[in-house]
Formats: sequence, structure tokens, C-alpha cells
Amino acid sequence: MLVKISCKNIRKIFIQKGKMQVHVLEGISLDVYENEFVVILGPGQSGKTTLLRIIAGLETPTQGQVLLDGKEVKGPGADRGLVFQSYMLFPWRTVMGNVEVGPKLRGVPKRERRKIAAYYINLVGLAGYEKYYPHQLSGGMKQRVGIARAYANNPEVMLLDEPFGQLDAQTRYYMEKETARIWETEKRTVVFVTNNIEEAIFLGDRIITLEGKLPGRMKSIYKVNLPRPREHTDTAFLELRHKITEETKLLL
Amino acid sequence: MSMEAMAPAVRKAVRERTSISLWRLVGNEYFLYIVSFIGFLLIWDWVAKAQILGRSLAPPSDVLGELRRLMAVELAGKNLLGHIWDSTRRIFIGFAIASAIAVPLGLLMALNRYVNAIVKPVFDIFKPMPPIAWISIAILWFGIEESSKIFIIVIGAFVPCLLNSYNGVRLIEPELYDVIRMLGGNRRNEIIQVCFPAAFPAIFSGLQISLSIAWTCVLAAELVSSRSGLGWIIIQGMRLTKPELVIGGMAIIALVAWLTTLLVSGLEKVICPWKRGIKAV
Amino acid sequence: MAYQEVKVKTPWLIKILSFASIGAFFGGWELIVQTGIVPSTMLAPPSSVIQLFVVKLTDPNPDGAVLSKHAWTSIQEAGIGYLLSLLIGLPLGLLMGWFTAIRGLFRPIFEIIRPIPPIAWIPLCIFWFGIELWGKVFIIWIGGVVPCVINAWAGVNMTNPTLVQMARTYGASDWQIFRKLCVPSALPMVFGALQITLAICWTNLVAAELLAADSGLGFLISMGRRLALPEMVVLGMVAVGTVGALIGVVIDMVERRLLAGIRR
Repeated sequence: MLVKISCKNIRKIFIQKGKMQVHVLEGISLDVYENEFVVILGPGQSGKTTLLRIIAGLETPTQGQVLLDGKEVKGPGADRGLVFQSYMLFPWRTVMGNVEVGPKLRGVPKRERRKIAAYYINLVGLAGYEKYYPHQLSGGMKQRVGIARAYANNPEVMLLDEPFGQLDAQTRYYMEKETARIWETEKRTVVFVTNNIEEAIFLGDRIITLEGKLPGRMKSIYKVNLPRPREHTDTAFLELRHKITEETKLLL
Repeated sequence: MSMEAMAPAVRKAVRERTSISLWRLVGNEYFLYIVSFIGFLLIWDWVAKAQILGRSLAPPSDVLGELRRLMAVELAGKNLLGHIWDSTRRIFIGFAIASAIAVPLGLLMALNRYVNAIVKPVFDIFKPMPPIAWISIAILWFGIEESSKIFIIVIGAFVPCLLNSYNGVRLIEPELYDVIRMLGGNRRNEIIQVCFPAAFPAIFSGLQISLSIAWTCVLAAELVSSRSGLGWIIIQGMRLTKPELVIGGMAIIALVAWLTTLLVSGLEKVICPWKRGIKAV
Repeated sequence: MAYQEVKVKTPWLIKILSFASIGAFFGGWELIVQTGIVPSTMLAPPSSVIQLFVVKLTDPNPDGAVLSKHAWTSIQEAGIGYLLSLLIGLPLGLLMGWFTAIRGLFRPIFEIIRPIPPIAWIPLCIFWFGIELWGKVFIIWIGGVVPCVINAWAGVNMTNPTLVQMARTYGASDWQIFRKLCVPSALPMVFGALQITLAICWTNLVAAELLAADSGLGFLISMGRRLALPEMVVLGMVAVGTVGALIGVVIDMVERRLLAGIRR
């Protein structure tokens, strides 16, 4: 299979004001294959968000490099779509306005980008809400807009940074199912960051765990061979969950 | 409690809940508003008629009479509406000039460090000076024509407009810029797509503050040296020893100031419909 | 953010620009009067202003008082008005926020007074008080009491309703809740009012003195205009700005001292 994203020996040290050095990542090397759904699992403060931002190009690694399709990632770009934990929708734009920002920046004419945006709004299940403003939407709906907005720009890979962290448990389950459905419909390479073991097993083809303390190092890689759609109460699911929990002793 | 014993207790409770008792009436907020307002008018009338403050307070009836007279009669060549328009016109012109310069400048200062380094020190020197302190210099420079009054209003409205658009940009969530970058935007897109719209609510609240300062400035300027306008009406009342003119003028000023505030609020609701929403949710 | 880690390439340039800017401002100011671009009847160069400053430290002519006396008069008037605003406005606002009866009684009067710019009261005050001290204090007070009431009221409104309910389950009376819960919750807003009220009081003081006074910094400014001495006008303006800023710094220090332990 084709390697889509390749991280080679990533190390990241932040320098806080006053020369304090915060060593966040060390020795991260991993490959993500095309159209694979990779989950990066770790508790809080394990550097996983930083890793995702490095892949996105919003941060530069102190050492090491990230290759996308063989070319080094030098900065943020439209070929990677990022979904933020706190939605980050533009409050002054409607749902349609938010989703069409990507094509708009690329100069796509109005009629065409409206069509594109409408398709993705429909895909995430928000058809009929095009004229709503973000402050009128619930958390789950806002995140779906975020996903649609990232998708509408037709990125090569999708990066999701704990996207359901701010939702309640039931909405979270629902959004996990929706994510799996959307991904099956429009396949992309996905790197998904979370701290929730069940979410990782439900969604991922492969799970990469990070150690629970800084600097974040890779702990293990799990291959999830369960058939989709997955069941939280499946025996194989629960076995894998037990295995991961035991090995990482995650408190979450 | 048995059923029979309960019934009278229930009946009593229901009666208590639904009765219009005097105590409840007195405790009602809106009733008190009305009482207080009427009491205020009555006390005013009494103090004025009993001449407790000498001849310097006019009863409400006199004030109303004077206002009605002003609507018809001409005072220094204009009737009441003419004076209102003069004051309001000065405010709008000064306001427009001030915001046209201050808002873009504030945005520029927040976005470009060099511009900030050049402008901010000089601005900080001028910031603590009340705009009214400029009145005398304005008269030295412009005489008592329109331009001196408009100059004061510009000075007064300038500071809050600049500060608010400056802070409006500085307080934008940095991750919003990330979003634009990840969608393929460059610096120019960042500014147009994020900075401007995100700073709008702050700019509008700056406008509100500027507006009330502008009113203070225009009145002060008209009190000192003017031939028309609402401030001039009050000063005439003082010169002619007609307290009813003074109070009438004050009432009109309050009314017009309140209306202009409503106007800006309404404008904000139209242009920034999302701001109120966020507060509510 | 990678692309934002690119720091300003020349941080020293920024510092130089700041100083250069101030220097250019004062230099330019001095030049345009000295070279006659702007006639000296309209504007005084910084050198004249400084000269006058030194002179006025000891010379009561031609306006009737030494500089420090003017400043002291202004500070007195503003100070009394300011303190009265706080003493009356803050408790009133707190009570209005919590007790329906007090709110009902005072709100109409407050809402009527509120939209009237304090300056509009000046002629009426001249009627009532002449140009004595108390007229100006009244204007400053009327201007200052409004933000005090508004801020204190808003502060009480921000009391956490869950805490109020909890207090009621303990059987606390309205007055107890007010004293022990509402007032402390409102403190941050109350302290916010201190600076705003000061700025408003100082502004209104200058306006009042421009029109009706025989000493004070505002009087100094208007005297300068009447005597056609622009350096006096500028001196007055600078003095107004400086004293206002200084008082603001003092209030800030007091605020910090008082709030030392309380988290904002």
C-alpha cells in the first residue's frame, strides 16, 4: 500500500518565555497508508495535539520531518484538512458560508462552490441548516460543520484533533458512528487524535498509543482487524479494549 | 393529615396565592416605578412652585409649555427642530471623520508592528487628555465657526474608536487564523476573512462609547461658543434667566441622545447578528 | 505556529521607531512655530510652554494663582465629587440590584438622569450654586454616580444563582444573602467602576471649570484663550492630562493593594 504520510524521527521542544524548555515529543516515527484511518491515542498532556499540528504544518519540528506524498511539509496548506477540538467556526458566517470558505479562497465561482458546499453539508447530515448561524447550533452540529468545512476543500488527508472532546457521551457515540459513515462514503486518509480508548477502537484501522508523560514517545501500535460497522459490545472489541487498557493503564 | 383536615388548609393556600393583597401590590416592581415617577413629578412641581430653590427651578408644566412654544417660534433664526438638527449634524460629521481615521488606523496598528511602534507612543501621550480640554485651542485655531465644534468631536470620538478597533483585533482567537491557513489562505486572506469581521463587535461598542463622548463634546463646545444648537438653547436659558428653557433643553438633549444610542444599537443588530446570539447561548 | 514563529526581523528597529516618533513629534511641533508656519498667536512651541511652566511655579500672574494652586483646586473639586459618587452610587447600585423595593423607587429617576450628559447640567448648576465649589462638585457627582450605579448593579446581577439557591436552602434571609453573597460577588465590577468613574469625573471637572470658575486647571486653559496666550492653554492641557493620569495610577495602586488576595 502507498504511504501517504511519513513522520521521521520527530522531536519537538517548545521554548517558553524565559528560556524554559518544554520537551513535548521525542522520536516519533510512523507511516500512514493511503485511505487508512489511524488513531493517535494518549491521555492529556502527551503531546498528541502537537504531533497533529506538526503533521498539519502549523508547527515545525525541532528535529525530523514530515513527508506527505514524499514531499516535505513546510507549512499549513489546503492539502491537509484540520478539524479543531473547539469547532472554530466563523461566527459571522452561516453554515453554508463556513463550509464554502475553502473553495472561496481558491477562487471557485459562486455557483460551483455552493454546489460543493451543499454536497458536504448533506453528507454530514445537516441538510436544511444552511442558513443557520453557529450560535444557533448544538455542539454536535457545530462539529459536523467543521468536518464539512474541512472536507469541502478536498484535502488529501483529514486531521481531526479530539473533535468530540467537548460533547456529551451520547452525542459522542452518535458522532463516532457518523464519522465512520462519512469516512466510508468519502474515503480519505485520516489521522484522528483522541484520549478515549473505545472511540479509538471503534474508528481506527490502526491505533498508535503515546506514553502518558512528556516527552511523548510512541508506545505501541495496534492493528484493529474488526469488521465494520463495529459494535462497542462485541467480544473481540472488548478484548482489544482490555488489552489496551492493561498495557497503557490510561486513567480515562 | 386526613382528607377533611387537608381541605381547609388547601383552600386557605389557594386563597392566599390568588388574592390581590395590598402587600403584593406595593411590592410589585412596576407599580413602584409608576409611584416613584409620579412622586418625582409631584415633588418637582412642589419645589418649583414653593420656590424653595428661589426662581431657579421651573415646574414641569412650564417646561412643557416652553417646549411647545419653541417648536413654533424661532429662536435665533431656527425653531426647535432646527437646533436639534444642528447639534446632531455636527455630531454625525465629527463622528464620521473620527471613525474613518481611527478604525482603519487601529486595525493597522494591531496588524503591523512598525506602524504600532510609530503611532502608539504619540497616542499614549494624548490619551489621558479629556477632549474638552481642547476646546480653548480649537477656538484659537478655528474661531467660533462650525469647524471648531467638529474638531472637538473628532478629538473626542477618536480615542475610543481607535482603542476598540485595536483591541478588537488583538483579542481575536489565534486559532481562527489557523483555520484560514489550513484552508489554503495567505496573510491577505487572514486579514480580510478573519480580522475585519471578527473585530466588528468591538468596533461597534467603540462606536457606542464614542457617541456618548461626542454628545458631551458637542454640548460643551456649544455652551462655550455657538450661535445654534441644543447646548446654545440651554445657555440662552441661563442668560435670559429662563429656567424652563434650560430644563426643556436638557430634556430634549436626553431624548435625542437616547434616540441616537438606539440607532447605533439597531445598526449593530443588523450588521452583527451573531454577537447578541453568542451572549444568549 | 510555524509561520508565526518568524519573529520580527528587527526588534531594535521597533524601539528606535518609538523614540524617533516621539522625538519627531516634539521636534516638529517646535519647528512649525519657530519657523512661522503656524503663527505664534495660534500655537506655542514646547519651549514656551516649559518656560511658562517654570514661571508659573511661583508667579501668580496673570491669571490669579500659582500653578500648584490651580492643580490643587481642580483635584479638590474632582476628588470630592468622585468620592461622593462612590459613596452614594456604589451602595445604591448594589441595593438596586437586589432589592425590588429600592429598585422600584429609584429606577425611574435614574433612567431619566442617565441619558442627560452631565455637561447639560452646567447652566442649571450656575443657577443654583453660582460658580462656587459645590456647583462643580454637583456636576462631577451627577456624572460619576451613573457608572457607579450601573457597575454595582451589574455586579450584583452576576451573582451565581446556584449559590443564592443554596443560601436559601440554609434559610438565609434576603438581607443576609445580600450582605454575605451579593456584595462580595459584585466586587470585581465595583473595582472596575473606580477607573471609569475617575475618567468621567475628571472630564466633567474640566468642562465645568472652563465655563464657571475662577481657579483650577480648566480655568487656566480658558484664561489662556482669553488673554491670547497659547502657551498657557497648552500648559493647562498638559497639566490636565498629567494630573489625570497620575490620579489614575494612584487609584490603580490602591486597587491592587485592596485586591491583593481576591482573585479577579
